[in-house]
Amino acid sequence: MIAEETLVQELQRGESRPKAFEVLVNTYKERLYWHIRRIVLDHDDTDDVLQNTFIKVYRNIEKFKGESKLYSWMYRIATNESLTFLKQKSRKMGISDQELKDKMVENLQADVYFEGDEIQLKLQKALATLPDKQKLVFTMKYFQEMKYNDISEVLGTSVGALKTSYHLAVKKIEAYLKEN
Amino acid sequence: MSSQNNTMKKDKKNSFNTPEGYFESFNDRLMDRIQKEEMNEAAPLIPKTDGFAVPNGYFDEVTPTVLSKINTKEPKVIPLKINRGLYYGIAATAAIFIVMFSLTWESNPEPLTFDDLANAEIEAYFEHTDLEMTSYEIAEVVSLEEIQLNDILGDDLEDDIIMEYLDENVDDIEELNLEDIDYE
Repeated sequence: MIAEETLVQELQRGESRPKAFEVLVNTYKERLYWHIRRIVLDHDDTDDVLQNTFIKVYRNIEKFKGESKLYSWMYRIATNESLTFLKQKSRKMGISDQELKDKMVENLQADVYFEGDEIQLKLQKALATLPDKQKLVFTMKYFQEMKYNDISEVLGTSVGALKTSYHLAVKKIEAYLKEN
Repeated sequence: MSSQNNTMKKDKKNSFNTPEGYFESFNDRLMDRIQKEEMNEAAPLIPKTDGFAVPNGYFDEVTPTVLSKINTKEPKVIPLKINRGLYYGIAATAAIFIVMFSLTWESNPEPLTFDDLANAEIEAYFEHTDLEMTSYEIAEVVSLEEIQLNDILGDDLEDDIIMEYLDENVDDIEELNLEDIDYE
């Protein structure tokens, strides 16, 4: 696997850029897909957001100064693209953010690319009740098994605050699952 | 130390046996079990997977799709080349037309301003047009210092109404942390 620093240099140099970008997409497409999918839930929406994320990365790679890791920079773009996508979607549909979240979970029951059972559907219902940031912290830690330091770089939140946020999310999800 | 030796001697005397390497791997197995139990204690009810799936071969298609979008060249901006003579002709015609128009136009000397647009039309525009701007983007282009409270309220809020509200709802005016304001 190519070192991140070398990849960035090649991405920022004109002649090696297309090849380096192909390597970048191949390296990160699955990780970013699952990160986005857990925010927007629907496969087709995820595909749109994933493509937009890579296009933004390509167009802005020259502005990347290496102050954070490349992948956390891309995760940040993917997170912002996903949240902005949901905001625009709720505005176009003329419904509130919460109404959209409830609708997204409702749609999962008929989604051919959701193979979850009853408990997994309930988990999505529980996640829909969490504030955006708490849900993000929970999915990044629990399903993506990211380290707190890495989540901290993506979300710009201290490790201590992330631990608290994760703990609160677990408690709320468990309470929801017990009650329902 | 002597008691440990005694214990070991005692163990050697018994007739029980253990599998090979049992004590060497004991620590690792114990730590694994503690970790697993901690995970289960932390979230015993939460499923370990979330049930999402992708179409077959989806990830093989992602790279070519993204690359084709990147390689789509942006449309070239073609500079408008115009014949110099034609340019002067158009400019002269326009100048004559403006002079004639200004001489004959007397009925409405006031130019149309932003204030002439009915509030309802402006509100309808913002209501029905998708600006595709997040609240953060709007905040970036609209300076907070230029916004007055009455700009976002439907009706003007009179000073005495504000004072009456503060009088009824704030016990201690110091709590407001107002600075450099002459209350008199």
